[in-house]
Amino acid sequence: MINELVYNIAVWMDDTKWSTMLHESYYMYNWVESTHVLTLMLSLGMLFLIDLRMLGYALPDVPASRLAERLNIPMLVGFTVMFITGILLFYAVPVRTSQSLWFRIKMVLLVACAVNAFLFHKRMNESAASWENEPRAPSRIRMGAILSLAFWSIIVVCGRFIAYDWFDCDTSPNTFIDVISGCVDGQTRF
Amino acid sequence: MPTSFFAAYSRTLFTLGAILLALVFAYGGWMEAIYPPLLGVFEWLETTWFGVIGKTWGAAFAFVEAIHLLGLAVLGGCVIASDGRLLGLVLTDVPVQTVVERTHKVFVWALVALLATGIFMACGVATKIYYLPVYWFKMMALGSGMLFHFFIRKPLLQHDANMLNPVVVKMVAIASILVWFMVAATGRWIGFSG
Repeated sequence: MINELVYNIAVWMDDTKWSTMLHESYYMYNWVESTHVLTLMLSLGMLFLIDLRMLGYALPDVPASRLAERLNIPMLVGFTVMFITGILLFYAVPVRTSQSLWFRIKMVLLVACAVNAFLFHKRMNESAASWENEPRAPSRIRMGAILSLAFWSIIVVCGRFIAYDWFDCDTSPNTFIDVISGCVDGQTRF
Repeated sequence: MPTSFFAAYSRTLFTLGAILLALVFAYGGWMEAIYPPLLGVFEWLETTWFGVIGKTWGAAFAFVEAIHLLGLAVLGGCVIASDGRLLGLVLTDVPVQTVVERTHKVFVWALVALLATGIFMACGVATKIYYLPVYWFKMMALGSGMLFHFFIRKPLLQHDANMLNPVVVKMVAIASILVWFMVAATGRWIGFSG
């Protein structure tokens, strides 16, 4: 039911003129994809420095909350660019992307990252005054940093795997994977 | 005077010499002489363990690609934080020396990860990248970036930043961002080529 709805929306998007133009434009598509990938240096670069600071591996003598606060703005700029280019990439290839197992795992993990980031900042702001000059953050904050590093690493892996066709609807003989990938019975396209 | 001059600027002169050598290599006819025999090396790379794994297991290659991207993210983060501080854009209330020195350690680890995963990936597609001009541009950018970082930027910033000419410091920061961006962008373009 939900898979059919997602599929129909994706087919509708795919039929729009702009989607086709973006997909078939060699340079534009590559520019968007390159921007999406290269902005990792800004978004994940800042995020990983903050996480590594909490674990005591980067800038241990810089107050933790100050570092997080100062790097938040460039990080959010990076994530905004990634979000916009990510939507464009989805819009360019909506059917195959929406039926990608890796894309679906990536989306679930993005939600998990958002929840983790919210809890991480909440806990840090509540308690930073008592430990922010320590080289390592308390265990609860460190756990948030480890989860952040792990989730984002898996997201990058999934993002890379989307390009491969191992579990595409017309190639996978596994019914379970077909269901979680959103393959629709009798679909004739892609 | 000449001796003290060479001693004081030995690493800068070494870097300039390396760049000069690269230019002579590229435009002096050496490249045409060396390029064809290099094909044998690249063909051999594909027969190594890394090459065989990279060619046989697409998932292993893709996974290493993702690790390469993660290394790039960390390296880019260090460059942006460190050079952004030199430009007065980020972490302005943290001493320059602290940001530069602490990010350098993380930068080195990220660079090691990038080189290790990069070599693995290169082995898997060695005969493809041999024919790609953008791959050679990337190698030149990478070599320039490492020489610049370890032989110009780092020695310069070991001095008290307040004693250095602010214009020089900003130029170094901009050059650093540009060279590492060039490395990343040419790397990305390899994926679109061939």
